[in-house]
Amino acid sequence: MNGTVLGNVESIRYFLPEIVLVGTILAVIAFELLAGRGRAPEPPTAIGRRSPVCDGTLAIGLLGVAGSLAALLSLGYEGPLLLFEGAIAWDPFSIFFRWFFLAVAAAVLLIAHPYRPLVCLHYGEFVSLVVGTAFGMMLLASSTNLLLVYLALEMVSLPSYILAGFLRGDRKSSEAALKYAVYGAAASGAMLYGFSFLYGMTGSIHFFEMREAIASGGIPVVHLLVPIVLVLAGFGYKIAAVPFHMWAPDVYEGSATPITAFFSVGPKAAGLAVLIRFFHSVFAAGGEASLRVIGSVDWTLLLAILSAITMTLGNLAAIGQDNLKRMLAYSSIAHAGTMLMGAVVLGGSGVHAILFYLVVYAFMNLGAFLVVIAISIDKRRETIADFRGLGWRMPFLGVSMTVFLLSLTGVPPTAGFVAKFAILRALIEEEIYWLAVIGVLNTVVSLYYYARVIKAMFLDAPDPTEPALPSLSRIHLALLALFLVPTILLGFRFGVLDAIAAASRFLVVGS
Amino acid sequence: MHESGAGIAETSLLRWIVLLPLLGAVWNGFLGKRIQRRFGERPIAAVGCLAVAASFLIALRAVLALPPGGAAVDRIYTWFGAGDLHVPFALLLDPLSSVMALVVTGVSALIHLYSIGYMRGDRGFYRYFSFLNLFVFAMLLLVLGDNILLLFVGWEGVGLCSYLLIGFWFADREKAAAGMKAFLVNRIGDLGFIVGILALWWSLAKHGLFSLDFRAMAEGIHLLQGDTILGVPALAFIGIALFVGAAGKSAQIPLYVWLPDAMAGPTPVSALIHAATMVTAGVYMIARMSFLYSLAPQALAVVAAIGAATALFAATIGFAQTDIKKVLAYSTVSQLGTMMLGVGVGAYAAGIFHLMTHAFFKACLFLSAGSVIHALGGEQDLRKMGGLRKKMPVTFLAMFLSTLAIAGIPGFSGFFSKDEILWNAYAGPHGHWALWLAGVLGAGMTAFYMFRLLFLAFFGTCRADEETMRHLHESPRVMTVPLIALAVLSVAGGWVGIPKALGGGNHFHYYLEPAVAAHEAHGSHALELVLIAVSVLLALSGIALAYHFYMKKPDLPARLTARARGLHRLVENKYYVDEIYGATAVRGVLILSRALRVFDDYVIDGIVNLTGWIARIVALISGWFDLVFVDGLVNALANGTIDLGRRARRLQTGAVQTYVLAVFGGILALIALYLGLGGRA
Amino acid sequence: MNRLESYLLISSILAALGVVTIASRRNAVAILMGIELLLNAAALNFVAFGRFVKNAAGTHPLDGQIFAIFIIVLAAAEAVILLAVIIAIYRQVESIDADRLRELKG
Repeated sequence: MNGTVLGNVESIRYFLPEIVLVGTILAVIAFELLAGRGRAPEPPTAIGRRSPVCDGTLAIGLLGVAGSLAALLSLGYEGPLLLFEGAIAWDPFSIFFRWFFLAVAAAVLLIAHPYRPLVCLHYGEFVSLVVGTAFGMMLLASSTNLLLVYLALEMVSLPSYILAGFLRGDRKSSEAALKYAVYGAAASGAMLYGFSFLYGMTGSIHFFEMREAIASGGIPVVHLLVPIVLVLAGFGYKIAAVPFHMWAPDVYEGSATPITAFFSVGPKAAGLAVLIRFFHSVFAAGGEASLRVIGSVDWTLLLAILSAITMTLGNLAAIGQDNLKRMLAYSSIAHAGTMLMGAVVLGGSGVHAILFYLVVYAFMNLGAFLVVIAISIDKRRETIADFRGLGWRMPFLGVSMTVFLLSLTGVPPTAGFVAKFAILRALIEEEIYWLAVIGVLNTVVSLYYYARVIKAMFLDAPDPTEPALPSLSRIHLALLALFLVPTILLGFRFGVLDAIAAASRFLVVGS
Repeated sequence: MHESGAGIAETSLLRWIVLLPLLGAVWNGFLGKRIQRRFGERPIAAVGCLAVAASFLIALRAVLALPPGGAAVDRIYTWFGAGDLHVPFALLLDPLSSVMALVVTGVSALIHLYSIGYMRGDRGFYRYFSFLNLFVFAMLLLVLGDNILLLFVGWEGVGLCSYLLIGFWFADREKAAAGMKAFLVNRIGDLGFIVGILALWWSLAKHGLFSLDFRAMAEGIHLLQGDTILGVPALAFIGIALFVGAAGKSAQIPLYVWLPDAMAGPTPVSALIHAATMVTAGVYMIARMSFLYSLAPQALAVVAAIGAATALFAATIGFAQTDIKKVLAYSTVSQLGTMMLGVGVGAYAAGIFHLMTHAFFKACLFLSAGSVIHALGGEQDLRKMGGLRKKMPVTFLAMFLSTLAIAGIPGFSGFFSKDEILWNAYAGPHGHWALWLAGVLGAGMTAFYMFRLLFLAFFGTCRADEETMRHLHESPRVMTVPLIALAVLSVAGGWVGIPKALGGGNHFHYYLEPAVAAHEAHGSHALELVLIAVSVLLALSGIALAYHFYMKKPDLPARLTARARGLHRLVENKYYVDEIYGATAVRGVLILSRALRVFDDYVIDGIVNLTGWIARIVALISGWFDLVFVDGLVNALANGTIDLGRRARRLQTGAVQTYVLAVFGGILALIALYLGLGGRA
Repeated sequence: MNRLESYLLISSILAALGVVTIASRRNAVAILMGIELLLNAAALNFVAFGRFVKNAAGTHPLDGQIFAIFIIVLAAAEAVILLAVIIAIYRQVESIDADRLRELKG
């Protein structure tokens, strides 16, 4: 659809949610500075104690996110727009992602609150970094020119590098930060290089003008192929798709677990959003009903290849993992591959399926990580051995984890099955059978490593010398229920989510 | 073919058939531990058994309320409506699902009762009953679902419950591993099933039919004739894909390997799940989809061939087994093969008939075996049994009657159903004499090794140790009453399907006619009687062989010893005259008898031994084949995947510089790959 | 240097040098230098294209130059963060040898 272009001043109104987030960042930093006056700086290895300043910081953060949500709600949706003279899109697709990222940010802030290694350790910075990343992600999902995409991508990545290394006394965390930063810089450097060539060949950095240049033809395959693959390196890195995934297992394992949970859902979704928008806006034309690839490169084939090897490597590498965070890292790589399958389909059904899958994935993945976090509050407990007997010692956790893992596998009647089914259906309707077969085969493989955890929880006896597990905090209990219910319910009653996803698949593609 | 729209009543009764076991499972699952601690086992057992019994009664009422040839539907709510697909959560009670529902609830009610005695004193008593109820719930969902997706939900559900129950005594590593093996092998089968469902949906959608419920599909299925999927006729493709799933669930070649291992679970579980209900889900599915299969002869041929092969192959393995439950396990695989053979030649009603009778006698056999194991304090090795007939008369009677049924002795239930299948295998429109031959040979072998089991366990002298023999006693009434009930059903259960050739009205066949595709075997009654005679003859010779092989030999040594002692005394008393007399006449008699014995031992016994020896070699080879190739293939696949995983993990070297290099290497590789695949716009 | 190809050649050499530097150095600061090389190669590209390529309206847009300026800013931001990470690592292991940090693997 085509959107009305708005000038800079009128656009501010629609940018309110993001502005509120920026304000929140400033407020949190200011509050921490002012309220913490006179206190000695904390040494890097301190395990924090809760204090009113921390709670206040969290409260401001959550208020900010809530305020942003309220602003979004009040804006409603009257029609597609292009804000700031055509730089930022205001369409159902970007509004969906704004909601998504705000919800994820709020969830992560709450999840991290009882997690003692993080608490009160530069807490204001933690909150502002998370909010800042959320801001970047919202921007990334709505950018319509190359510069803004690059800026937004860095706005997501840079705070992430810091978040990865947040536990400054922990060697693994610092190693994770280094690897993330180096890798991320290299990957976005490659992407930038690709952008430069695209700019050179089309004469513009604005998506729609680029499309016009490509559609008028004449650009040979190699001239487009190389930059597209370079750009895919950048997007692929954010999504953690093979072969641009190698940072993910190490970074996921080394970071503090609530931050890992954040990485596995937020930036990944943002990467997918920008990938879809980029390819659909620049390299596709024809309107809703008859979208087709333009230019001399069939990028759907590239995405299909990427999807196939991502799913396969992700699932295979997860098989022998004993560290649950690493296993979930490979699992989320595999899920990214599954979602990429939807991007191969040009019609709206592919995007529809991806959006549906993202929401389901957010619930089940955050849920799985939450279980790991809930038992790691006082001490790192993230190996399969630590999960032995969990089903009988803390049944609610055990059952929830089982549900989340079964949903991640894609076993009916969980939501994960419905989501996978939607993507496979979109593929089959387009007659892309080979990819669907690989997808289903991977589901069978994935059952093995998920089932290992379930087996450990219910069929293995726990180590008798282990001290007692920490009791479930109320916040975690509430959040677990919050994630558990949709994971089960959406297996049956997914009409509402389905409708939302269907309505959100529309992108602005011109003015 | 069933008629559309004929007498379909709407009701809200059916949901209770499914819900009551679920409620029982939830109740016992969540509150069971506390209740068991405070009040003991009785309230748990009461809830568990009553839930299923009530379900049975409601099912009975609903079935009796059906008009002849009609059906009832219970629409609970719309499960999902995605795009063009509307799937209501609805239950269908037609002749086919009536039979299944009654068999499932009835047999499982009896097994629940039996379990009260069998599981007494087990710490997981409440967990057992919870899982068992859950299983019944899932199985009922499977058979009563009115669309294929609901069937699949039940399908997965019974798989899950089977896994939970096989690995019930999870503290034992091997038992837990058996449960995992079952779940994984089933998953492989389910892969095919999902492919089948997707292909089915897609094919129907192409013709504008957007429904997955059975009645709607039956009406529109003919539209798919002439369609192809990947070059193969669509109907055949779907049929074979669905059959892959059935092969996993119903333990056909090559996906049967989990069933013998599944005997690790408690014996009533083996009776219910792996004999009477879950494993029959595959057969039910094919019968339910008969409207599709009757239009896909290639798929039917595959089903029949694999069914016949399985029936024969599994029977040969049964010869060499020494564990009582393993014998029954392989016999189940063989019988399932027979059922598949039945539906594979288009005799859907016959296959379901055998499903029903098999449920009766196989459950009875397993429960009897359980009774024996229970009485012997856990012993399952046939070589350590013997002579139990006197100490456990009721169990013996039940086992004897059900063994007669499985052997196909005329008058018993197994006879009628098996011969219906064999008749259709020979003379039906999809039949072939080779299929019949395989089936009838398998039946003969079944008679042999089942009676071998009977003889080894119940006859002769008891080979168990002193301690065990002192504790030997008949099982308590709560266990023997279900045994008797099932034994009665094993005898009389077949009488609803007496074929016309023997003067009956074949009521079962006509009862099922509105629900499954029509099939009529063409041949004279005389021919049918001849075939029946052949199979009965084979069965009887199998029994005789077993008798000779396992009953005659143990007597011989004892007789010989007694004769030598008497002779010795005779010679001592009558010295001179008797000595000469003895030297001639008595010694002559001795020589003669020895010569006769030699003749008996070497010539006659030799022939008998040779046949037995051949059978044992075949059985050993089959067992070896099973272990090396089939198990080996499954293990190799699993190990290969794990190995691939290990290699994939080695890529993560831990050095970030390598990772970055891989980024650019990957970029180059992708470019090359794209160009190499000839990508274009 | 009046041809587009000259600039593209130089920027591709710079980019290649940057990648090689990242991939082959043990010193973390040296890796950072490689990153800077890569980013600046892209910036050079942008400027070059901005100079030589006309857009649809027939003019030379300033987008390329502006992009290059933003790249400089962001490269600086990235360097800041990387250096902060390097300092944090040094405090822990008294070394900035990237090869020493290989605990996370597999």
